[in-house]
Amino acid sequence: MPLHRITTTEDLHRYLRAALQLEHATIPPYLTALYSMHPNTNLDAFHIIRVVAVEEMLHLTLAANVLNAVGGTPDLTAPDFVPTYPAFLPDGEDDFQVDRERFSKKAVDTFLKIERPGVAPDEESRIKHREGASRSLLAAPEDDSMHFYSIGEFYEEIRRGLVHLQAEKAKAGEELFSGDPARQVTPEYYYSGGGEIIPVTDLESAVAALRLIGEQGEGLGGAIFDNEGELAHYYRFKQLLHGRYYQEGDGPDDPTGPPLVVDWDAVYPVKTNASLEDYREAPGLYAAAVEFNRQYASFLSLLTDAYTGRPELLIDAVVEMFRLRDGMTSLIRNPLPGADGLTAGPTFEVAAVSAIGSA
Amino acid sequence: MIFPRGAARSTDHAAVSGVVYDAVVVGSGVSGAIIANELSRAGKRVLILEAAAADDITLSGYEAYLKHFYEAVSKDNQSPYPENPNAPMPRSTDARKIPPGETDASAYLVQKGPFSTDTTYTRVFGGTAMHWEGKTPRMLPEDFEMRTRFGQGADWPLSYDDLAPYYVRAERELGVSADVEDQAYLGMTYDPDYVFPMKGLPLSYLDKMVAKDVDGMTVELDGEQYPIKVRAFPQARNGIPNAAYDGGKGFVPVGAVSTHQVEEGGRCQGNINCVPICPVQAKYNAGKTLAQAFKTGRVDLLAQTVASKIHVDPDTGRVTEVEYKTYSDPHSPDHETGTVRGDVFVLCANAIENARLMLASGLDGGNDLVGRNLMDHQYLLCWALMPEVCGTMRGSVCTGGISDLRGGGFRRQQAAFNIDIHNDGWGWAIGSPYTDLIGLVETQNKFGADLRGELVSRITRQLQLAIPVEVMPTESNRVTVDPSYKDQLGNMRPVISYHVPDYTLRGVAFARQLSTRLFQRLGAADYTVYDADDYAYVTYEGEGYVVRGGNHLAGTHMMGVDRSTSVVDADQRSWDHENLYLVGGGSMPSIGTSNITLTIAALCFRSAERIVEQLQADARPPQVPVG
Repeated sequence: MPLHRITTTEDLHRYLRAALQLEHATIPPYLTALYSMHPNTNLDAFHIIRVVAVEEMLHLTLAANVLNAVGGTPDLTAPDFVPTYPAFLPDGEDDFQVDRERFSKKAVDTFLKIERPGVAPDEESRIKHREGASRSLLAAPEDDSMHFYSIGEFYEEIRRGLVHLQAEKAKAGEELFSGDPARQVTPEYYYSGGGEIIPVTDLESAVAALRLIGEQGEGLGGAIFDNEGELAHYYRFKQLLHGRYYQEGDGPDDPTGPPLVVDWDAVYPVKTNASLEDYREAPGLYAAAVEFNRQYASFLSLLTDAYTGRPELLIDAVVEMFRLRDGMTSLIRNPLPGADGLTAGPTFEVAAVSAIGSA
Repeated sequence: MIFPRGAARSTDHAAVSGVVYDAVVVGSGVSGAIIANELSRAGKRVLILEAAAADDITLSGYEAYLKHFYEAVSKDNQSPYPENPNAPMPRSTDARKIPPGETDASAYLVQKGPFSTDTTYTRVFGGTAMHWEGKTPRMLPEDFEMRTRFGQGADWPLSYDDLAPYYVRAERELGVSADVEDQAYLGMTYDPDYVFPMKGLPLSYLDKMVAKDVDGMTVELDGEQYPIKVRAFPQARNGIPNAAYDGGKGFVPVGAVSTHQVEEGGRCQGNINCVPICPVQAKYNAGKTLAQAFKTGRVDLLAQTVASKIHVDPDTGRVTEVEYKTYSDPHSPDHETGTVRGDVFVLCANAIENARLMLASGLDGGNDLVGRNLMDHQYLLCWALMPEVCGTMRGSVCTGGISDLRGGGFRRQQAAFNIDIHNDGWGWAIGSPYTDLIGLVETQNKFGADLRGELVSRITRQLQLAIPVEVMPTESNRVTVDPSYKDQLGNMRPVISYHVPDYTLRGVAFARQLSTRLFQRLGAADYTVYDADDYAYVTYEGEGYVVRGGNHLAGTHMMGVDRSTSVVDADQRSWDHENLYLVGGGSMPSIGTSNITLTIAALCFRSAERIVEQLQADARPPQVPVG
């Protein structure tokens, strides 16, 4: 297949930067759905989405560790880092787009596509060439014509690239893992119940980090629980549609755990993919949305600092996340004038922040 | 932590009737959880009796508590937990002034006075370790030798060094965040390479603002100089895991428990309502240990099953069975009775309920000591307004304080105390922030931006010092039972007689004086007022104080070396009944100035070892030929 695969360290860096973009790209949609639920309702659904969002942040951090380990530099403040929604995923999956929208069956369907099991139905569809010009709103990692069936396939390519480059470098007497170990985020600064951060210093730890991302996301080889007995995101979401939790021993289509009740109506009708433009006639909402975007931009800047040598800043980031939550909920719980009962929502337009800032 | 599904319903009353368990444990709080977990891991079969309901611990079950708390008008310690007349519990809002010579039987605790205590404990699955604050100081070495060193109270049959290895296990089980350099004072020592499971939680901004003016100040007491400083407290609250823990193996914090996977409780987020319930389970609760215990498959639970009587073989003194009353509707007195059997019985209710159950069974220790020497901490509250905004209401409830007067030669004359700097403002003292809001609206007619501004300015400057003062064992401070006072199921309620000893009051008076010095030094306006009409008003040398209950109940079945002067031995085994253990705060001969849970947990680990040994030794009890 005439594909441009990872053959150089620069390729690898580009893929890993795309990985950071990819992991982040899912967060605004997850958070929008999460905070669109009415307070104190849908507790099961709230926790399921919250867990996934938290683990996407873990994946983001794992990807940063791998990039740092191979001498790259994470930059979450790059102009195109945050996608414009609706967006294709940055790994090139092109059969669906992701919206920032309220919690709904449609949103959960999209989440299932994001987290779908990694192995393509056949070799043919595993990695495909896209016909014609890409509509992707994001830079594809290497070659705009190349795209992956799933996030799992995308990470598989990174894993293959790492192994390949490690061997190449070894032959040349060079070291692939030349990054500054002080840039690694360690469990001291990051942990969540469902998965521990892995500091990356060599091929083994890099592969372990990528495996954790894969296992948590889609499950591997059709297993609904991973090695640690943790349920993959894909199946966590499926629980919402089944109305029942999985337990050990369950098959993929037949959860038999405790029941789970979803109230699809106890949700604020957030305007899908709301943008600042929508708030032109509502100065209060406009100001709140601009302020949120400013805080979000500053949060990404904080993360960038944390990923480039100051991991202790992740502790401070907790407070910032509370601020972001408050900013999001205050937009989500306010009606948008003239929009037939829809409510406002955060717009995540950080590109606009610098434009406004320089005006 | 996954709670095995159905674990709480692994058995039923019919099924247990034919079984002789290795151990029957009464109560599912921190003591019962640790005992059950340790015994089951040693291969023993354990039955837990829990008076309250115990639907499988699900996250939604836990969050129902949270919702109940959020919606409650009173935010007291019991506000998240459902009322249950079949397993009633004391509530701080129950306390009433008791006229001399009268008895207040209006609430679950029957109080004969003269002091009216508002102390509480929580009768739910998981026990009081649901509502506890999570502060985990060890006791000082001198606390174990009060009689020898200071001529006060009683010595323990154990020393700090005896208990130190069990403190280490308790700190792992509870998941303690602390730094050794902050906790090595007043004789507390640690192994040279010891680190706590997680790094110390940071001092709050309020702590630091207090420290700025207070650190380096010296207090003179009984002719000795005590330099004081603000020090971080150890806490059973998830923080940053210490990579050096356990010889470099590190520590994995335990998050929320549920029957399905949740990712919560990773790390304390600084929500301010640790008491009465941590919204994210970053704080330890007994469910974290119970989930492990149930995973062994050797632990059964009977919930809604109130132990009502301990039966003893009159010849051997051995406990033969525990009688229970089980109910299906908490609001109906309908119940059935039955008995459960085991080789060993372990009472893990709490200092008041253990004593109540013993006395209701006619067991007074043979020396009339069961129920006597009831202890608690008496909390003196002092509150002031700081000259500038200090970020009050941020952080966990309490992160730091002044611990330098927890020990010293002055304990010959007066009680030691700790000083907790509360991050939650004047809530405990006067009901802030709700009372601030009502006051500003109703008496100052504030509204809108003005109201918000005033509220923020006032609340973020609030400084409340909560000062636990130690109480020595006094035989007349006691729990009794009286058939005139029963609960809905017909179980006798605890009857409390309690006064605050002068030894404690001298400590209270000194602490109050010190608080005024601290406030002066901080430039803070002292708002402290003690109302003579308060149920907890006490006077000492002409001055009045209000002292609250501390929920640190101890002393009703004190341990000792002599069966004539104590109820249990150093293993918490009853002198009178060789297969009965009375576990928990009740065994403690003194509590010093330490919140008691860590020490209770350490004692449980120690006792669990002895119980396992006893079970191995008794594995084939001599059969007495029948007929």
